[in-house]
Amino acid sequence: MNQLERLLKEFGEQKLQNRTRRHFLMDCVSKVGGLAMAPLLFACDPVVRAQSQALNLSGRDLNPLAPLPPPFAPKAKSIIYLHMAGAPSQLELFDYKPELLKYDGKPCPESLLEGRQFAFIRGVPNLLGPQAKFAQHGESGAWVSDYLPHFSSVVDEVAFLKAVHTDQFNHGPAQLFMQTGSPRLGRPSIGSWVTYGLGTENQNLPGFVVLTSGGKTPDAGKSVWGSGFLPSVYQGVQCRSKGDPVLYLKDPDGMTRDMKKSVIEAINSTNEESFKDFGDPEILARINQYEMAYRMQIEVPEVMNINDEPKAIHELYGTNPGEESFANNCLLARKLVEKGVRFVQLYDWGWDTHGTSKEESIDLGLRNKCREIDRPITALLLDLKQRGLLEETLVVWGGEFGRTPMQENREGKEQGFKGRDHHGEAFTMWMAGGGIKKGASYGLTDEFGFSGIDERVSVHDIHASILHLMGFNHEKFTYDFQGRPFRLTDVEGELIHSILA
Amino acid sequence: MEFILPLLGRFHPLFVHLPIGILLFGILLVFIPSKTNATFLPSIRIAFLVGFIVGLMSAISGFLQYQQEGYTWDTVQIHLILGWITVIFSLGLYFQFRKAQELTQPLKIQSGLIFLFITLTGHFGGNITHGEDYFLEVLPPGLLATFGIETQTVAQFTLDENSWEEALFYDGAIQPILNYNCSSCHNPRNLKGELDLSTIKGLMKGGENGEILKVGNLKESALYARLILPHEDEEHMPPAEKRQPRKEEVELIKIWIETGASVDKTLAQATVKRTSVQAFFRKEENPFFPITDLKPVSSDTLSILRGKGFFVEQISADNSLLRISCLNFPAFSEKDWKSLKEISEHITYLDLSDTKAPESIIDSISGLTHLTTLKLNGIEIEGKGLAKLKDSKNLKLLYLNSTALTLENLTQLDGHPSLEKVYIFKTPASGQEKRDFSFHLETGDFLLPKLASDTIVY
Repeated sequence: MNQLERLLKEFGEQKLQNRTRRHFLMDCVSKVGGLAMAPLLFACDPVVRAQSQALNLSGRDLNPLAPLPPPFAPKAKSIIYLHMAGAPSQLELFDYKPELLKYDGKPCPESLLEGRQFAFIRGVPNLLGPQAKFAQHGESGAWVSDYLPHFSSVVDEVAFLKAVHTDQFNHGPAQLFMQTGSPRLGRPSIGSWVTYGLGTENQNLPGFVVLTSGGKTPDAGKSVWGSGFLPSVYQGVQCRSKGDPVLYLKDPDGMTRDMKKSVIEAINSTNEESFKDFGDPEILARINQYEMAYRMQIEVPEVMNINDEPKAIHELYGTNPGEESFANNCLLARKLVEKGVRFVQLYDWGWDTHGTSKEESIDLGLRNKCREIDRPITALLLDLKQRGLLEETLVVWGGEFGRTPMQENREGKEQGFKGRDHHGEAFTMWMAGGGIKKGASYGLTDEFGFSGIDERVSVHDIHASILHLMGFNHEKFTYDFQGRPFRLTDVEGELIHSILA
Repeated sequence: MEFILPLLGRFHPLFVHLPIGILLFGILLVFIPSKTNATFLPSIRIAFLVGFIVGLMSAISGFLQYQQEGYTWDTVQIHLILGWITVIFSLGLYFQFRKAQELTQPLKIQSGLIFLFITLTGHFGGNITHGEDYFLEVLPPGLLATFGIETQTVAQFTLDENSWEEALFYDGAIQPILNYNCSSCHNPRNLKGELDLSTIKGLMKGGENGEILKVGNLKESALYARLILPHEDEEHMPPAEKRQPRKEEVELIKIWIETGASVDKTLAQATVKRTSVQAFFRKEENPFFPITDLKPVSSDTLSILRGKGFFVEQISADNSLLRISCLNFPAFSEKDWKSLKEISEHITYLDLSDTKAPESIIDSISGLTHLTTLKLNGIEIEGKGLAKLKDSKNLKLLYLNSTALTLENLTQLDGHPSLEKVYIFKTPASGQEKRDFSFHLETGDFLLPKLASDTIVY
């Protein structure tokens, strides 16, 4: 039997199986009963209600990105998440530790090392004092180092979290944890949850856009913007700031818009046929992605084009059209949010300052990285502010963990440059914009900046707060998968009230 | 030998299961169909006799426990009376069965009755030990609502900003904090660690490890010391998996112990500072979007609007007000306003940016009573009729970026009752000399200085 015949046979059998009376009756027992019980038990739960509507194949099933209202009035309509992949050193940027300077070069107290595991540090490392000069800025008196001279002028817009902790100390798992709430693969990212819950506002653009810079994508791969067990239509759409924003977005020579339209119509009608047969929601996602791609062909090149921005804006951001840079991505993020994109995720690679080379040193390489983001981030906050978008946009900045107060001693040897190892015990993140208390600072670390001693915040707490600002109760926002409801925050997470306005 | 009676009393929870089991067995035999109708009579007699004896033991031990352990009559009343009725009833039934030759209808009815008594006695007994909401606690809120049962929770502790000084330190602050954070485990019914924190009496008495409060001594006052242990510590209270008290609440408990743990002083008499309590002041909940009792707009109406090109969505599932945007509808013009008229009361967020909306649109908008956010970025207006927006008494944010408006136009809005911010980035107005208005004017045009460090490559 050749391949075609075998496939046809399989298809026929599947079709028959979907139609037998036995299957129908079997399904009736569980499903009719379940349907009768559902409204009784969960009638008040908006998310579940939305799901059961989906069972009846209503609007959301035919268009999975159709907008939905959040359960509660949101403080923010969109999110720009700036992830510094590789983990920036909080001790050179925000967490000022003069005491650590006094102990510079002295061996680390054994009590700090007991029972701890580090990615590269072995034996007893030496302490390493802060390499930057710190000063207090703004009315809030926030400490920011001279590595971020522009950013220090806008600290009053920002709320700092200075004692964030994570239990992961390797990049991949830590990035996954920060972006999906679990260090293992398979969970949806924050952006996917948000798009799943709210849909997209602009029907010609995806609800969740990812932009990367720094020459590499995050260590954890594309799963950090994946949709996990959510339908794949909710995954992040990666756009490039150099060349075509989306690969193969342009029609090939000789293909007209009308021809494209008829091709997509034909494909979609075939797909609809097979959806009628199998009822697999992934087919609907497919149909929608074709339609979305067709609409995106017009809108995406327009919104991803920064050439037409006025000169003042380019100067503000320090942008250089045509290259892949964090500055360009920041400007794009503003444009996308302006156009109604829910979640814009930026990754900037190159923050892994171990001290193994000049680029990876905290006194040289880190300064270069800071220069690359300082102006763009400040510009982004100011640009959002002057357009009034900061009222309804949440900006989050952070890495996947922090760095040790000790000089790294990879393989027990002295490093050629000043550098710090991975450290999840305490690090700094900040948020700004919709619903965030301006000029707040939450969290306190010990004299070395080794661990948080008060107002510690977990990754789940951050997720809970982000969802809260978008109008969700993180404990109620669930998706049923493999027999149990899943949450972004799993079974943890508390709102960080002190930074919420 | 004083311990004998309380000890016997403590056997009550063990004894009570015997009559339940044995009497139920007897009742079961009564209702099992059998050929001669009298097959099980001997067994039934034994069951009721033994049931009576163990029932009596339970009743006596129960009475002892009531006497010795300080239960009030109100708590045990129904359980005690029903228990004794069951005991006496079972003896009576035993005598009737002894005389009976076969199972008659009255005997069956009485057996049914005694079943009812056992069940009720057991239920009310359970209520005493496990709490009256034992079953209800685990039911989903949706199901409870269908039965009309309201789930109530202890409210978080708040103080009145104007009269907080007169509030009693203990009754007005410490007890509410304990009620909110501790009493769900440490109450007379639950008594975890034999500690009751629902009254000052229980607090002073302490728990299984002795007193928890040493006035003026924080280290030895477990009431405070265990709150500040690291979360991972097994001794930490509340247990790590439970909701934790706020920092300010712990701090207030500290101050209370330090200042002498007084029961009758007010906060002012105990010299508590305003900064220590200001976290508890009731915040005036002033939601951004007005709260209305408008009915949600029907989904058919919404679909029609979406079909026309509008983005239309409710603010949230629990608020029927609408967010409307012309993001994908740049062709919006005056005639399209008609389709919004029907839902004008519902509009609270309106974005007409970059559309063909004409000058006269301001007249139409001014009638929107619940409007909070209005975006008119990039539309061609001269702004002569802006004063009409004063009629929108909920308007808070007004976006006029990239329009041809001047400060003279905006003067019309001065004194608007609710307007908080007006955005005029990229307008002639942003370049004009600043004036003071009743609202904040965001002119934008931010610039970042050129710094030497911008170009230094390390």
